[in-house]
Amino acid sequence: MALAIGIILGCCALGAGIAMIAGIGPGIGEGNAVASACEAIGRQPESKGAVTTTMIMGCAIAETTGLYALVVAILLIFVAPNTFIPLLAKYVPVA
Amino acid sequence: MFDEVLNIISVNLWSIIASLLNLLIIFLIIFFVLYKPVKKMLKERQKTIEDSYERASEAEAEANASKEAYEKKLEDAKDEADDIIKSAVVTAKAREKEIIDSAKEESEQIVNQAKENAQLEMKKAQATIKGEIVDVSTKLTKKLLEREINEKDHADLIDSFIDEIGEE
Amino acid sequence: MNKNNKKSVGFILLDIFYITMAILPLGVGILLKLISTPPSDGGVTISGARVFWHIDISSSNFLDIFITEAQINSVLVIITILFVCLFLTHGLKQKIWLKRQHLAEIIIEKVDSMVADNMGEPFKAFPPFIIAIMALSAFSSLITLLGLFPPTSDINIVGGWAILVFIIITYYKMKCGLGYYIGGFMKPVFILAPINAIGEFATPVSMAFRHYGNVMSGAVISVLVSYFLGQFSTLLFGDGAISVFQVGLPAILSLYFDIFSGCLQAFIFAMLTMLNISTAFDADEYERRKKKKLEKKPKR
Repeated sequence: MALAIGIILGCCALGAGIAMIAGIGPGIGEGNAVASACEAIGRQPESKGAVTTTMIMGCAIAETTGLYALVVAILLIFVAPNTFIPLLAKYVPVA
Repeated sequence: MFDEVLNIISVNLWSIIASLLNLLIIFLIIFFVLYKPVKKMLKERQKTIEDSYERASEAEAEANASKEAYEKKLEDAKDEADDIIKSAVVTAKAREKEIIDSAKEESEQIVNQAKENAQLEMKKAQATIKGEIVDVSTKLTKKLLEREINEKDHADLIDSFIDEIGEE
Repeated sequence: MNKNNKKSVGFILLDIFYITMAILPLGVGILLKLISTPPSDGGVTISGARVFWHIDISSSNFLDIFITEAQINSVLVIITILFVCLFLTHGLKQKIWLKRQHLAEIIIEKVDSMVADNMGEPFKAFPPFIIAIMALSAFSSLITLLGLFPPTSDINIVGGWAILVFIIITYYKMKCGLGYYIGGFMKPVFILAPINAIGEFATPVSMAFRHYGNVMSGAVISVLVSYFLGQFSTLLFGDGAISVFQVGLPAILSLYFDIFSGCLQAFIFAMLTMLNISTAFDADEYERRKKKKLEKKPKR
């Protein structure tokens, strides 16, 4: 039983860690966005305001996938054990 | 007391409906309390501004009209002045001519009279000179001849002589 | 003019009443929080809203009635916004004589121009809705500054907003007729209909999760960082010492996660609402149908 609980906890933590690999994507994407924005501002400094607003908008939207991963990871860490361990206790007969 | 805590992610139908209604309520609040009064005020302000613009343009038109009228009046006055000056010049010229004419006439008259007077004087003088000459020559001849020559013959002779001279 | 610029006593009293009524709900919220929070056991607990009242209707949590901190807080926020609005429009005059009137006018003109830019002519009536979304979202997120539970970090609250937006989107899609709406699902090929339907439902879900995830992750990170800093100071100075490290860093984090992220998410939620609604409405098709209808009418 203790082993099973341990496995559940460990797998949840592992899953959370793996889920956060998705953080790479928004990182790269936002980096690209900011780089392009810097270039655009360098080319046309007078359009700084519009570029900045659009960039922040785009960054926030690009961040979404990362946030989904974060939500999944938080679910795995804080919610999943609480739901899985009672299930285990319910369906697995105590040896 | 309040021990129960929701999971960090837990879906509940009534909460969703409640928050949906909350958003509707806040929409109504914003619409009736904030948006409508401000919009109404902005519209009124726009209307006031348009009215004042209209009034300003009306006033400008009025001012322009009165300015034109004044300009016209001014021009009329100038014309009138010109007319007055012109007529004045004309009368002045006429008067000048008149004066000059009358002066000329007068002078001519004076000259004529003077001439007449002169002739009269001349005639008078001629007559007196003639008489004197007659007298003188009579005396002369009386003294010279001192004889019985008739005084009457002498006078006739001299008279005829002087007449001959005067005719010459 | 100077005579009119003086506030009368009644005016000032009403002002004070509005301000107090705007602040009062927040005080009530803090009081509730203080009453309801049990003494912490020192561990890190990351959980959702506290339940004040739980009515059991069915066995599943989905259908039970919960009165939670999040709902109470959102009602308090609504009251606050109501009185802030009343305060802003109090003493509105054509000739500006109060500074607050500038704020009211700026808000409305900015949102008007934003809606005009992003949505266009058929959506003239939307600015109040956009202001409502922005105000509710921003206030709900900023309430964390007072230590209150932010309603936006509850998926139900944001989900409700997203569902309302989804209803509006669907309404605008159906304005061109039900057949046109259903036909829209089978756009490239009719086999893709299920995928299109999923895509349709993905819009509100993604909107809700974006907002929820941002605020919630900020809260989680704040809690973790402050727990970690507390542990660090216990490690250095022993148990029971004042946690020195908890003073500075959480404030900076809060500056980003609460203020910047909260306002930004409010803005983005409003922006996405506008874009989704305006792309949902096929104005040309609607005009075409309207013309057809008008042509048909005289024949009858």
